[in-house]
Amino acid sequence: MGLVTDTEYTYPLQSDPPDGVAARYHDRCGVLSRRSSSASAAVAYYPPSSMDPATFRPAVVIDNGTGYTKMGFSGNVEPCFIVPTVVAVNETFVNQSRASTKSSNWLAQHSAGVMADLDFLIGDEALSRSRSSSTYNLSYPIKHGQVENWDAMERFWQQCIFNYLRCDPEDHYFLLTESPLTPPESREYTGEIMFETFNVPGLYIAVQPVLALAAGYTTSKCEMTGVVVDVGDGATHVVPVADGYVIGSSIKSIPISGKDVTLFIQQLMRERGEHIPPEDSYEVARKVKETYGYTCSDIVKEFNKHDKEPSKYVKQWRGTKPKTGAPYSCDIGYERFLGPEIFFNPEIYSTDFTTPLPDVIDKCIQSAPIDTRRALYKNIVLSGGSTMFKDFHRRLQRDLKKIVDARVLASEARLGGEIKAQPVEVNVVSHPIQRFAVWFGGSVLASTPEFFEACHTKAEYEEYGASICRTNPVFKGMY
Amino acid sequence: MGFRGHRRAGGSISVFFRRLTSSSSEKPSPEQEISMILLQSHSRFLLQALSNRVHNVEKGVEVDYQWVEFDDVRYHVQVVSMKNPHIVLLSVCLPTPPPETAFPGGLPLGAIEAIKATYGVVVQILDPPRDGFNLTLKINLSKLPPDEEFKQSLLVKIASIREVVLGAPLRAVLKRLCSRTMTPDVNQLIALVHRPNEAFFVIPQVEKVIVVYPMRFSDMIDTVLATSFLQEFVEARRTAGLNNAPSCTWSSSPPLELKKAPPEALSANAGFVSFVIFPRHVEGRKLDRTVWSLSTFHAYVSYHVKCSEGFMHTRMRRRVESMIQALDRAKPEGDKAKRSPNSRSFKRLSLKDARTNSNT
Repeated sequence: MGLVTDTEYTYPLQSDPPDGVAARYHDRCGVLSRRSSSASAAVAYYPPSSMDPATFRPAVVIDNGTGYTKMGFSGNVEPCFIVPTVVAVNETFVNQSRASTKSSNWLAQHSAGVMADLDFLIGDEALSRSRSSSTYNLSYPIKHGQVENWDAMERFWQQCIFNYLRCDPEDHYFLLTESPLTPPESREYTGEIMFETFNVPGLYIAVQPVLALAAGYTTSKCEMTGVVVDVGDGATHVVPVADGYVIGSSIKSIPISGKDVTLFIQQLMRERGEHIPPEDSYEVARKVKETYGYTCSDIVKEFNKHDKEPSKYVKQWRGTKPKTGAPYSCDIGYERFLGPEIFFNPEIYSTDFTTPLPDVIDKCIQSAPIDTRRALYKNIVLSGGSTMFKDFHRRLQRDLKKIVDARVLASEARLGGEIKAQPVEVNVVSHPIQRFAVWFGGSVLASTPEFFEACHTKAEYEEYGASICRTNPVFKGMY
Repeated sequence: MGFRGHRRAGGSISVFFRRLTSSSSEKPSPEQEISMILLQSHSRFLLQALSNRVHNVEKGVEVDYQWVEFDDVRYHVQVVSMKNPHIVLLSVCLPTPPPETAFPGGLPLGAIEAIKATYGVVVQILDPPRDGFNLTLKINLSKLPPDEEFKQSLLVKIASIREVVLGAPLRAVLKRLCSRTMTPDVNQLIALVHRPNEAFFVIPQVEKVIVVYPMRFSDMIDTVLATSFLQEFVEARRTAGLNNAPSCTWSSSPPLELKKAPPEALSANAGFVSFVIFPRHVEGRKLDRTVWSLSTFHAYVSYHVKCSEGFMHTRMRRRVESMIQALDRAKPEGDKAKRSPNSRSFKRLSLKDARTNSNT
């Protein structure tokens, strides 16, 4: 287990030692479990918030992912909008205003500054605008699941709230999400922006995997124990959750995510010499991944299948060149199954990291407390857009089952066949809302009456400052 | 603080005024293209939901969405039975009107007529509306015009239901102004709801219409920013190029026109804004835009206050960053932490661990 922690937390941006992460996790993730068990004891500490009219309105739920942002109102089954997390800023104005800070032309500087501040777009509009005009620069505020550019993020939220959801942030409680490895500082920043800029009456920052588990909450019986395999665009985490508490010390992250699938497909197509304009190739690869990608059961067989019946498996992609408008087309072949394959055979993509995803999940469960392991194997929940490949869950289940069965056999052989072990049930759960499972979980959580009591409120923020966002308010009576 | 708020506000104000002045035939100026700073009259989500429905009528997908817009306008879209997949029920709940507004049957004056005139056969008003809503419309998607462009514009119109319903009384007054058939009983005071329990006032006169907004904000900082924004707003109106825009004044005390208004409607912590609308502001297609801009003026101001706060945060963040940089430069050289290329690990290794690791 020690080996895995050493080599597999390869994101350089986290600086906390794992113990800190663990402590934080035990601190913050208990809301859902509290619901069923110790609700009455904890509620006594909360100020009465039932008089707040905002509690009668649905809460706004925004799940900011590295690739896509899912936003909507609680109580709905689908988010209102799913847009790429990207901001297009008009750089010409920004440069003008910087260049002219010393000049005396106040008016020009004034309007340049103002326009730079106003002239930006988000989501699909940003992508299409940046393609049609060269004055806009794209900025991706979230990288690897962490907010990197707070200016862009604040603008992104501003547009989400006012232009997409069209709601008054003062009227609604907000539920935002964060990756399991978010440092407390960035949670403070989030709180600062939400309370200072948008004046939200209440804020809850939930951990994505817990919400993904909660998404299954309504469909199956109240099951808050499980492993969440969250493969997003920018980060992949395997997070064990027991009774709604994240087992922080066992979280595994791997450096392969949806973005790597896209990059790998892009690389494959480039190496084959498909004629795609270079400025478009990333977007084409992303579209190819989303529309044609699938998981195969065996690479060699799949290669054979493609070679025998190319007409059935090879797809065509048609597009127009952004500069000249001339049409072009290209073939899509092996990359359809080779893209998702990097989760199962990472060595085909990178030399640094070669542990397959099923192995990581197995190690993750093996490092969890022994009494939870059976339950964890039984409920492995997929979440995130990059688990949407066809048959992804089947492949994962099969590979994982193989590992588990091999271990059971080995231990039986060691014991000499005297004691028969109870078979371990391995179950990878897949549901149609996987793509926005986190959002849906947030929607479920935010529509319970207890949600409003678990939020950080504006009054508390004004009393204590942004540091309240470091911890989960569920525990605020305890220290 | 106030000064930066002003600076931030200036340009966007002219965008607002230009929307009120420009005629529709004019080519949009670059500022108008930045439509994001203005609130559009249609609900983006409602339009998306309706278009999705139109394109996927055959697919028997259930539709049930509820959401809330600014000023507490609630929507509920539902496809009730799978047998009639082209029937969509749209319920709208309007902000609670203050006592001084006329709200017969739970709707603003003239709203029913406006709905019938705008949508024709596509929309049917259900009476009584669904529980908890002011209005329920039965939209028959099969009666939409077959022409794509026409269909789209009608869908946008349906998505602008809020403008049609809440703006109906204001539109009636402005229409009379436009056709110069103002009734002689001048200086009557009409209160129109625009926010929960808050109204703005319309005073029709023979040649013009005066619109007065008591501006209220719940947050202290917002109030200060909004007050300075509004003063700048009035100032910006005076600049050249905006001569045709409606004249605009701000005062901290209620203007004379409101002396007949109930006293509880006259408490406003960010003062009073009034616009004077002349017939030239409501000619032809300008009417729609003017009605929308006027009936969502408060939302526009509060949006801008939020933008200004965001802008100030950006500047503060930049300043802090530059200060941190200056501090970093001042650090003596030797203090610089040396990062070895192998320090990517999460776990802090003790000396002993490191030794065993290097052995293996």
